[in-house]
Formats: sequence, C-alpha cells, structure tokens
Amino acid sequence: MKITKKQLIIYALLAIGFIGSIIFVHHNQFFYDRPIAKITNTSDVDRTDISDQNDNKDYIVTQQIKAEIQNGAHKGETIDLTNEYAGSLAVDQAFNAGDEVFIAIDDEDFTGTIQDVKRDKYLVLVGWLFVIILIAVGKKQGALSVISLAINAVIISLALDIYLQNSDRSLIIICAISIILFTVLSLLLVNGRNEKTYTAIIATLLGTLSSLVIAFLALLVTGEEGLRYEEMSFLSRNPQLIFMAGLLIGSLGAVMDVAITMSSSIFELYEKNKQISLKDLKKSGRDIGKDIMGTMINVLFFAYVSGSIPMLLLYFKNASPFGFTLSMNLSIELARALAGGIGIVLTIPIAIYTSIFFIKRKKARS
Amino acid sequence: MNVLVLLSIILFALMAIIGGKKGVKSFIALLLNFVILLGTVLVMNDPNANPIWLTLIACALISAISLFYINSVNSKTVMAFISTIVTLIILLAFIIVMTDQSMIQGFGEEETDELVVFSLHIGIDFVKVATSVIIMGTIGAIIDTAISITSPMREIHYHNPSISRKELFLAGIRIGRDILNTSTNTLFFAFFGSSMGLLMWFKDLSYSFGEMVNAKVFNDELISIFTAGMGVAIVIPIASGMTAHYLVKMSKKNNHAK
Repeated sequence: MKITKKQLIIYALLAIGFIGSIIFVHHNQFFYDRPIAKITNTSDVDRTDISDQNDNKDYIVTQQIKAEIQNGAHKGETIDLTNEYAGSLAVDQAFNAGDEVFIAIDDEDFTGTIQDVKRDKYLVLVGWLFVIILIAVGKKQGALSVISLAINAVIISLALDIYLQNSDRSLIIICAISIILFTVLSLLLVNGRNEKTYTAIIATLLGTLSSLVIAFLALLVTGEEGLRYEEMSFLSRNPQLIFMAGLLIGSLGAVMDVAITMSSSIFELYEKNKQISLKDLKKSGRDIGKDIMGTMINVLFFAYVSGSIPMLLLYFKNASPFGFTLSMNLSIELARALAGGIGIVLTIPIAIYTSIFFIKRKKARS
Repeated sequence: MNVLVLLSIILFALMAIIGGKKGVKSFIALLLNFVILLGTVLVMNDPNANPIWLTLIACALISAISLFYINSVNSKTVMAFISTIVTLIILLAFIIVMTDQSMIQGFGEEETDELVVFSLHIGIDFVKVATSVIIMGTIGAIIDTAISITSPMREIHYHNPSISRKELFLAGIRIGRDILNTSTNTLFFAFFGSSMGLLMWFKDLSYSFGEMVNAKVFNDELISIFTAGMGVAIVIPIASGMTAHYLVKMSKKNNHAK
C-alpha cells in the first residue's frame, strides 16, 4: 500500500496530538485550582462486615492513605488522608497507589479529605483510542465520522447555551433548528451533494416530525399517565421539555440512518436498471425496510434502557415492589425508545415516496 | 390509558402495516429482548452471580433472537452472530480495565440526593455492573453493523463465486466504512438525547470545564459513547475477515466435492 505525502502528514499530526495530549493530561495539575494529590501508599486499617435492613451483606473498609500534593502552595508535601468504602462501591471508591484525587485540605492539622477522582486522563485516552480505531478502520470515512461527531457536539453545546441564556425562547424551537442543522450537515458531509442526500434529508426531517407529532398526541390523549418524570436524573429544568427534546435528538441518528440506507439502495436500484418500474422500486424499498427496522429499533432500545440497570438493581435490593421499580426507572426510557421506534418505522415509507418523487423528476427530465 | 401501552400499540400497528409478517416478528423479538434484559437484571440481584458473565450470556441470547429468530439460521446470520460475540469479548476486556481505572461505576455525587432513601450497601460489585451497562448499551449497534456487513458479502460471493479471500475481505471493509458514519451517529444521538438533562445541569450549575471533565457522570456518558463507537468500528474487520474466510473455504470445499 502506498502512503501519500498528505497521509503521512495527517498521521504524523495525529501521533503528535495523541502523544502531546496524553503527556499534557498527566502533567496538567497546575491548571487546577483544587488541590490534587497522588496516592503513594494505602493500607486497610479496618474491615467491618455489615448487613442492611434488607439483609444485603456488604463490608466497609477504612483506608489510611499517604499522598503527595501535586499543585498549589503545598506542592511536594505529603498528606495523610482517610477513605472509607463499601465493597459494592456504589458511591465510593477503593484507592490504590498511583491514583490521583482532588482533595480538600484542612490547614489546621494538615489533613485532607478526598473529594473526587482525577478522571481527565482516562477520558482523553479513551477519546483518542476511539479516534484512532475509527480512522484505522474507516480511513477517510472514519475521519469524516469523527469530524461530524465533533461538529454535532459543538452544535448541541451552542444550542443549549442559547436556550439557557434566553429561556423565553422555546427549547423545542431551538431543538428543531439544531435538528435541521444536524441532518443537513451530517448527511452532506457523508454523502455529498446529490439527490440521494436530498432525499435522505427530507425523509429524516419528515420522519422526525411525524414521530414528534405522534408522541405529542399520545402524551396529550393519555394525560401523560404512566410517565414518571420524578425519576429523571439531573433535573434543573422543566422535565417535560427535557423529555421531548431528548426524544427528538435521541431518535434523530437512527432516523437518519434509516433514511440514508433506504435512499441509497433505492437510487442504486434505479441507477443499475433505469427501466425499473416504480412499482418494483416500491416493493424493493419495502423489503429493505423490513430488513432494517427491527435491528434499528434494537439499537435505540439498548442504548436507552441499559443505563437504567444500576438504578433497577438498587431498587430491587432495597425491596421495592417489581412494578413500582419498573415504572419508576424505565417509563421515560421506554417512552423514548418507543417514540424513536415509531419514527424509524414511519421513515421507511416516507423515504420510499421521497426517493420515488426524485426519480420521477429525473425520469421526466431525461 | 398508559402512555407506554398506547405507544406500544402504535408501534406494533405501524410495524405490522409496513413490515408485514417480518414486522410482527421484529416486534416480538423486541419484547423478548426486553424480557431478557429484565431477567438479567433480576439474576444480577444475586450477590454471587458475576454480572459480566451474565451480560455475556444475555448478549448471546439477544444476538440469537435478533439474528436467528427474525431472519433464519444461515451463513450470514451465523457469521454475524460469531463476529458479534468475538467483538464483545475484545471490547469487554478493554471496558473492564477502563471502568476499573477511571472509577465511573455506580452513581455520581449529583445523584446522591435521590439516593438518600436507599441503602447503598447492597453487596453487588458496581464496577462489574458498570461494565455490563456499557456492553448492553452497545449490543444493538454491534449486531446491526455485523449483519449489515455479512449479508451483502454473501450476495457478492454468490454473484462472483471465484472471488479471492482478500478481495472479499476488502469488499466487506468497504461496506463497513460506508455504514460506519451512520452507525456512530445513531449511537451518538441516542446517548446525547438521553443525557440532555445532564448537559443542562452542568451548564445551569456552572460547572467549570475542569469539574466537568473529571465528574463521574460526565465520564460515564462519554466513555460509554466512545467505547460504543469503538465496538461498531472493530466489528467491521472482524465480520469481514471471518465471513471472507468462511465463504471462500466453503466454496473451495464444494468445488473439491464436485
């Protein structure tokens, strides 16, 4: 395989970026205001077996920790820390030598308490591995995927900033604008400017819109019975709005996927055989749609529902009734997955008819 | 009426109208997958059960339903099944190390308010549970990518039986590259949609950049997205390689038999 000069430069830049940023996150302690300490030595001083009111057996360990402060006025000094953790590690951590932690220093007797773990180095490492693997497997398309993900992340962040600064503007409208941007940019970037892409864009927008309308009507008709907003985590805003916005954004990727798969295959069938009848095109389109709808809904379903597993376990282990646990923890995620599924299925006929519309125009022109 | 019941009925009706018999089957498969997921969580309640082994078994069952029940047992679904499992095992090794090192298991400090009513000392290893959450979140996308590669590869081999192993492998990789972007996009938006609340929370409470990139919940979300993306990428060479090897070997065997 020949490597061009351009490729060589790109690979070199990637390597420099990778090595540079890894070195940086391992030596960036001076950037933080909060004191950071690197653990040099731990010893377990106490271990107590406990069982809670539901007879769950667990144990609590007390660790004596020696750590070296990495930044700020006390840089280089050794500090004593105490840490307590339960074997299940639900909200606490077991530390080992080499771990870096954020601490609060009590100046009076120079002891500290551990507040959080320094995780940035792992985040950067996993992020780079993701980029490298995508580019190694996908080459140019892999690089494009990374770029479009980055662009989309920036758009989401900006859209949220705009919303949070002008709360009088509706989140749904801001979301709608972002969705149009996401769809147009992502699809143009991957597929270039052609009728296939236009079909996919139109089908994606119509599919998303119709799933939103159906979800909205369903909520209206049922009076939102069965939705437990109170268990949505991290709420600083109106939960209904966040739910609807999440529903729109969440299903967008899957709907785009279906739209582009459908339009690409229908256009390809037409390009291969320009004499093909519209009826045959419709039939082939439906066959392709049947093949992909199940697995696409599966993708959404597992991406949404898996995140609830820790909470489900916690509820069950605290002797919560089965039905209550499910409705508290899964109702929001399931509603999203179902609404997304509706969007996926509706996009299939929408994409078929949009493709046929463009093909008819093409036929009329030639 | 309950929203979920109404939405399920709508989804079922649409799948049946647009997908016909296969649509109905896909809907049943979805229900079965839900039951497997719940069953896995229930078994995980046993402190002696290892969540990672349970997850692997559950993923094998889920793949079997999604591939063999909706389609049928044939070379493309079998190859997709095997490549899904191989990818999962590779990914699993990586995720176990990452969740352990980055300490993203369990619940973040942002969630502790809602946790006060619970006993958190429940004797379940949340590090293993975190691994299982990431794997479960990715399984749908990996199966989808695997079958999207093995199925057209079989068509290519059928139309050009004399194709060499290397050419067939490269054809698989090309197909994979075309779907890589949309697959990662699907996962990315799904995760983003479900963490909209979290993002607003960070912005509303004016987390500094430094606080955000070290927060447990933020790391948990991002590491999940990244590992899911890696899963979708590495299944491409695995599925292409295995399918190319198998199909070419089978056709050679058949030629010898003649």
